[in-house]
Amino acid sequence: MIEKSIPTDLTAARRLTEEILGRAEAVGYGEDDRFAIRLALEEALINAIRHGNKFDHARKVTVSADIGAKRTTITVCDEGAGFDPAAVPDPTVDENLEKPCGRGIMLMRAYMDEVSYNTRGNEVRMAKRRCSGLPRPAGQH
Amino acid sequence: MTDSSHHKPFRMNVTTRDNAIVLVVAGSVSMTDADRLQEKLVELAAERVAVIVLDLKEMNFICSVGLGAIIVGYLKCRHHAGQIRLVSPVPSVRELLETTRLTKLFDIYDSIEDALAE
Repeated sequence: MIEKSIPTDLTAARRLTEEILGRAEAVGYGEDDRFAIRLALEEALINAIRHGNKFDHARKVTVSADIGAKRTTITVCDEGAGFDPAAVPDPTVDENLEKPCGRGIMLMRAYMDEVSYNTRGNEVRMAKRRCSGLPRPAGQH
Repeated sequence: MTDSSHHKPFRMNVTTRDNAIVLVVAGSVSMTDADRLQEKLVELAAERVAVIVLDLKEMNFICSVGLGAIIVGYLKCRHHAGQIRLVSPVPSVRELLETTRLTKLFDIYDSIEDALAE
């Protein structure tokens, strides 16, 4: 289990992303899974830093990542006021396609198996089953 | 910052062809790199060429902020009826473009020559 509190800083967030991806690779997750975990984690961290903590360096982002052999669970918590994820417009509808922002939550949901928020809306929990890089069952060649 | 095996260094290279610009985007367009991509696209859009081709064959990752940077470039180009065309995204990036439905905004080509031929 990786549990860390990082400053509200994109470089620190990227370093932590690298550490978590390194763990996933060591456990044996394949490229597709690591792409999905990386994308969802980056989106959660960007939201926490930009929208949650509003780039306030006095605030922290707390991350926990449990990289299991079959399943990964990641929680990202900021110190902001929280928000209602249901109120975020769907970025894939025609009228929103040209908006530069607003795709983070949709991508987390698209690339992870489970995404949920706490009541306050300042903590996202994501889970993904390992799909790639699994050892072949005995008897298969 | 040291680049690990996961974070391929973000690189860009610009070449000019007739009334078009080819921007090679390589490596990872991560949260720490997307601003540079946006600055470059805004700078290139200001040259008011007809087409900016983004060669993506060596780009292995892009986050939503990076996608937003390309959209900002697209909106800037539209001011002068210019276009941004995408070339050879790797399968994971192509899937990302399809998931976000950005394939409706951007045509994807197999080669730079194809992108410039239209």
